[in-house]
Amino acid sequence: MVEPEPIQLTSILIVEDDSAMQARLRALMREVAGPEARIVIAPDLATARASLCEQRSTLALVDVRLPDGNGIELIRHMQQESPDTQAVIVSAFAEEETILAALRAGAIGYLLKDREDIELVLSLRSLQRGGASIDPMIARRILDMVPTTMPSPLDTASVPQLSPRELEILQWVAQGLSNRDIAARASLSRLTIEGYTKNIYRKLAVRSRTAAVHEARTLGLLE
Amino acid sequence: MIRLLCALVLGLLANLACAATPDVVTIDHAEAVRSDWNATQPPAAGWVPVKLMDEWNSHWPGYSGVVWYRIRWNQADTAAPIGLLLDYTCMAAEIRLNGSVIDRDASLVEPLSRKWHVPRYFVVQAPLLKQGQNELLVRVSGLSEYAPGFGAVSMGDPATLQAGFNDAVFIRRDMQVLDFAIGIVMASLFGLFWLLRRQDTTYGWYALSGLFGGLYGSNYIANSTWPFPTTNMWQSFIAACFVAMVVAHSIFLLRYCNRRWPRIERTALSCAVLALVLVPIIPDWMGPQRNTYLLPAIVFVYAVNLAFIVYALRNRRSDYLVLAACVSVPLAMSVHDLAVYLCWMKASTFLGALLSPLTILGMGFVLAYRFANTMKRVEGFNAELTHEVHAATSQLAQTMSQQHALELAHSRAGERLQLVRDLHDGFGGTLVGTIAELKQAPDDMPKARVIGILSEMREDLRLVIDSTAREHADLAELVIPLRHRASRLLEAADIEDHWTLEGLEGVDLGTARNLDLLRLLQEALTNVFKHSRARHVEVTLECTADSLRMQVRDDGIGIAVAVLNNRTAGQAEPQKTREGGTGMTSMRTRAQRLGAVFDIVRSEHGTAINLLMPLMA
Repeated sequence: MVEPEPIQLTSILIVEDDSAMQARLRALMREVAGPEARIVIAPDLATARASLCEQRSTLALVDVRLPDGNGIELIRHMQQESPDTQAVIVSAFAEEETILAALRAGAIGYLLKDREDIELVLSLRSLQRGGASIDPMIARRILDMVPTTMPSPLDTASVPQLSPRELEILQWVAQGLSNRDIAARASLSRLTIEGYTKNIYRKLAVRSRTAAVHEARTLGLLE
Repeated sequence: MIRLLCALVLGLLANLACAATPDVVTIDHAEAVRSDWNATQPPAAGWVPVKLMDEWNSHWPGYSGVVWYRIRWNQADTAAPIGLLLDYTCMAAEIRLNGSVIDRDASLVEPLSRKWHVPRYFVVQAPLLKQGQNELLVRVSGLSEYAPGFGAVSMGDPATLQAGFNDAVFIRRDMQVLDFAIGIVMASLFGLFWLLRRQDTTYGWYALSGLFGGLYGSNYIANSTWPFPTTNMWQSFIAACFVAMVVAHSIFLLRYCNRRWPRIERTALSCAVLALVLVPIIPDWMGPQRNTYLLPAIVFVYAVNLAFIVYALRNRRSDYLVLAACVSVPLAMSVHDLAVYLCWMKASTFLGALLSPLTILGMGFVLAYRFANTMKRVEGFNAELTHEVHAATSQLAQTMSQQHALELAHSRAGERLQLVRDLHDGFGGTLVGTIAELKQAPDDMPKARVIGILSEMREDLRLVIDSTAREHADLAELVIPLRHRASRLLEAADIEDHWTLEGLEGVDLGTARNLDLLRLLQEALTNVFKHSRARHVEVTLECTADSLRMQVRDDGIGIAVAVLNNRTAGQAEPQKTREGGTGMTSMRTRAQRLGAVFDIVRSEHGTAINLLMPLMA
């Protein structure tokens, strides 16, 4: 387990087509990143891509539904074209599937539009510290993906390889425990717990990449 | 049954005579004399000339006892061995050549050894054979009822006579053994079929008929009367077996045609049983007088067989025809043997003897054919059954899948209806309440107040969605997201929270009440977070069988104080004012709707919000 690496919030890309939401996110970002941070707003995928080519952002907040496509595609694109940019999906409520898809595409976190501003600020601060926040529903969904029995060698490509400690933390989150409670139970700092969460997200993305390669091999696209 | 006819045996005996060639001399003149059972030497006087073969009833009718036959001839050359062939001696005999015994049967008195139709063959030369006159003395023990006598004697080239002897042994004995063996084997086989399948009596009657046929045939291969003490009893047993065989055979044919004639069958069976029972009781009548019942039995079986042949020809069923061919063989054989006897046909006799095993095999074929047909019917029935089961199964599967689809559609409609109901009960109530509240509100309602109202509606919607998305919407589950969010916020505000949740599993209050309870809790926690300036908060949610208790206790300064402070400061955020004011009102309203006892206890050590709500059993 590596200690969380803080993200330098110097250049931020906000991909969002709704002007009210643009303003809200910009204000929140400003609050977290400070007045010096460079904040670019892109209303669609094309603008976002162009912007990424121009300047590598350190953080990108990406809305799911955009006029010219899906935000998850942009996150996938960024994984290859702009690997230094950390992507965060911005989703409406009751969209666990979308959030999971984004995490698997390489997103390091998510923001829920229906939450209070203060909650979003907490999430952004967590990201800034190098961690990630997680809701009980998402924790439960990730647990569902992990087989209860020991995976056979054949399955290793298609399920996330989570450590016992990571599984334990997910189970506590799913039960509704707070970060402080979990930290107390696991004898870890709250910051480390957030780092674990981020690591779990990374494993989802790695798993998804491995699965893609495996799939390509099966189809004969790769040697 | 044909074997009973002496015609066959006589025909065979005649054939040996036919075989005479220039190297072989057949002697047909001899002298005979009677003596008592125990005589060891022939009487000196009383010799009469006889012509061989001699059946002594023709000159000494009704005589049972010993008859000596004497044959004398001149032998020119004694250097080379010569063959001596005695056609038959009925029953037991002792043979002497020039005073020396050269053959003697085991028992020359009752019970007599049964050598009645076997030939005897000897090769003799000097010194037993003398140059000049030689004398062959044959002592025959016989009973007048069983054709006593002595057959022809042939002498000459040993090779020629040996061949004749072998032929005779083959036909008279070996073929009979074969016949007996095949008959018993077939009877046992089909007898086992019947034992395992009692309802198929055809096999049983065939087996019975085969069994008695075999016993009857043993007459030709037995060397003694064992296990019977006298020749009479043996003969009566053989004759009774014939009767039993005829009866069993007749019933077998009836069963084969799927007929039952109970009265006739009972009568015939009684006759057979009577014949068998009488064997040990009156053997001295049953044996000697056997023709009195054997002849009717022969006529009866001929009639039965002929009737069956006619029946088969009319029906034209292939297995009937084969069986008809089988039963017509004995009929043909008797006619044939008569022809042999009259016309001296040698080769055909051989064929006739061969036909008996063929008949048995043919019958076996017919029964096997019948068995195979039954199996085919069973298999056909199985195929039909499988087909019908398959058809029924697929029909059932179709019905069930239709039913399943229908149930699925119903359940989906039900889910949608539930969702609509949840939205109506939960969110609809909030919406109606909000509209009412806004109607009464002053026209210059602050913007922050409107935002507050909308935020509240959003929280309601969130809760409705959370509870709908979950499969088991019990309180234990529903409180999880709320606890998670509250903990995060409290943690950010550096307020330590402790939760005690008990007995919430399986508690479902319904959408509207769930919403009121959880929103009330949320409101209380928001107050703690925003106004209390507390360091700790204790959240308790306990369910017992009949009540639910909720308490939120903090160590802060209290809501009223905070609100007051905000007010006096004069620069309080309008939102907070609203939370402090209407937030409390909203909590009371919700508690009222829940039918709960609700109170807020403030002290210098903090604030406690208590709710006690009765639960319906």
